[in-house]
Amino acid sequence: MADVQLVILLTSVALVVIGLYSAIFIDNIIKKIIGISFIEEGVNLFIVAIGYKAGGVVPILMPGMDTSWFATNAAYPLPFGLVLTSIVIGASTLAVMLALVMVLYRRYGTLSTKVMLADTSKREEYDE
Amino acid sequence: MNELIPLMVIVPLMAALLISAFSKFNTVTKIFAFVVAICLPLIPLLSNYGLHYFGGYEPILDGAANMMYHPAITYSFTFLQQIFIGAIGLLTFLVIFIYLTKYRKVSGPYLFLLFLGTAAVTAMILTDDIFHMFVFFEILALAQVGIVAASSIDYSYEMALKYMVLGSIGSPMMLLGIGFLLALTGSVNVTDIAAAVHNGLVDATSPVFLLSLALIFFGWLYASGLPPFHTIKSGIYSKAEPHGAALLQSFTVISMISIVLIMFRIYASLPIFEVLIVFFSILAMILGVSLALTQTDFRRMIGFLAVGELGFIGLGIGLGTNFSITAGLFQALNEIVITALLFIGFGAIVNATNEVDTRKLGGLLAYHPKVAIMLLIGGLAMAGVPPLSGFQSKLMLVQASLSCGFPEISILAIMVSIATFVVFVKTYYTMFLKPKPNDLELEGKEVPRAMIFAMGVLLIIVILLGIFPDVVTNGISNFVGGIL
Amino acid sequence: MKLYDQIFNVVKQFRKLFSPGPVTNADVSGSLTAEIFLIVSLVLSAILLRHVNVLLAGIFTLALAIVLIYSIPLIPKFKIEQEDSLEKMLFYAIVTLALIAVFMYWGGNLV
Repeated sequence: MADVQLVILLTSVALVVIGLYSAIFIDNIIKKIIGISFIEEGVNLFIVAIGYKAGGVVPILMPGMDTSWFATNAAYPLPFGLVLTSIVIGASTLAVMLALVMVLYRRYGTLSTKVMLADTSKREEYDE
Repeated sequence: MNELIPLMVIVPLMAALLISAFSKFNTVTKIFAFVVAICLPLIPLLSNYGLHYFGGYEPILDGAANMMYHPAITYSFTFLQQIFIGAIGLLTFLVIFIYLTKYRKVSGPYLFLLFLGTAAVTAMILTDDIFHMFVFFEILALAQVGIVAASSIDYSYEMALKYMVLGSIGSPMMLLGIGFLLALTGSVNVTDIAAAVHNGLVDATSPVFLLSLALIFFGWLYASGLPPFHTIKSGIYSKAEPHGAALLQSFTVISMISIVLIMFRIYASLPIFEVLIVFFSILAMILGVSLALTQTDFRRMIGFLAVGELGFIGLGIGLGTNFSITAGLFQALNEIVITALLFIGFGAIVNATNEVDTRKLGGLLAYHPKVAIMLLIGGLAMAGVPPLSGFQSKLMLVQASLSCGFPEISILAIMVSIATFVVFVKTYYTMFLKPKPNDLELEGKEVPRAMIFAMGVLLIIVILLGIFPDVVTNGISNFVGGIL
Repeated sequence: MKLYDQIFNVVKQFRKLFSPGPVTNADVSGSLTAEIFLIVSLVLSAILLRHVNVLLAGIFTLALAIVLIYSIPLIPKFKIEQEDSLEKMLFYAIVTLALIAVFMYWGGNLV
């Protein structure tokens, strides 16, 4: 078996890089947002990987477990707790972004970033 | 009464939830929001200094390694927190007061966003836990986007979406930096991380540690709107309702100082940290003021000026001595008050004329003399004219950079102040002094009394801080001595 | 006279900056101030390099001053790069991220 932690870390790096690439080069705003949410997922994956322990057990102290054995074998629980919070925040951010995209799509009739999110200061009066 | 420390966050958070749940009862919502808003500045004044451990988990002393571990999320409340939470509480009260008197039917979700933002920045400045700070930083970003999107100004949705998209690059990077720190030290408590760094348990020259600084620093740039985020930050100020913008800029200032103080405690031993901060602060000062000079929309102009002023705060912290950090934090307090005054004052003009283009305005001095005079004093304070508060903090900054051996920075700071003054005088002239254009309708439009009241309160603070700066600077100096 | 003509051209260029809408005296003088402020402040901050190397600072400051003065008007170019479109904002944000990360990872110990 390959080193699981290394594979996870490489995956998370790949996700972050794909996200940064899509942020610059993809024009469709929905695809761009999906790409950007890859960054968030990559970071979450990285933090999960920190807590990984080869051959470790779930960090819940069950009745009858020896505490010193548990302390040496349990995975580090803090990153998992943090990632749960982070996922919830990421989901709400994503929801707000997509909601804004829905409103703007109705107004412009296109999903192109170049049209929708261009410089607004030079445009003429606003038409509903 | 240390029990009041968590209440500073819980009260606005609970108020936000209750108001959004029961917003169909208009009168009750109004009274409730008003009462909570009055409580916000009072709680920090009544509370005692101290620490609060959530869940009651006291720090554990590891006898073998002679190290303290903090298992609980810790809130630390000192003079610095007191004064900034008091300032943000007062500002929230004024903003909510303006909002409640402006509309007959109030919007529950909008009040929810205002209270949520206040709760988030309060938690950010109180907390001693870097992940806790990140969580509230994200909540703050959502509240800011909501406040911008809720405004009735053209293109506010576009600006909100841009802010959000940039934010979803900035904040994961910060989280990645926090992840690196967690991997290096196994803790997210700032005191523990700082102790590990100072005791040599973490190699301060390792690339991973340096990279964690780079990533958290990038998140800080996004939070504080320093370049490359100065355009979006000034943009969201200009697209929010004026009272919302006054609150948004205070959120920015407080999130800026709370993140930078945490970074300072962890990374102060690295010389590159101070170089980075000074570099981006100087960039922010130059870009912010030079772009403010070319704006015709006066809300955008104030937005760019606010970003330029942030550079002064960063400069004070980047110089890294006790005196300069005190000056930077004092400048942060002044900026919260002065910029809020300017946003509310110019917002009153928008209210009375429905016009934001300086080229289409003029002759307002005869119609709105109270607003004009208060705005004049506010602008002079921002530019650093004695005896107002902006003068005291900028003088301290100039002295601090001279005593650190950087006379260039002193000259630059004075130049930026002068350019700020030019921006303000130019805008003031075109709006208030130049003859009124013929097609500008001004009759029968009044400035809301609540706005004048809010400006008056802020003006009194500006003048008092200018005459008695010692009241604040002594306390801040003691706090800075504790973290150096 | 050459510099005078150049400054005159600068004022003409500012007209594009403020479109749509008229250009007023205050706006043009503001933009000229911004132009001078930008040059002076960039040159002044270049002097900070003397803490690294005095000779480098001298050469760099002089070169920067000459380049900046001969490339006026700077503000129109500057403003185009800092407009409100998401593409430019994202581009500069990611370039800054890459620069900071690369600089810190390999050069963080040099200072």
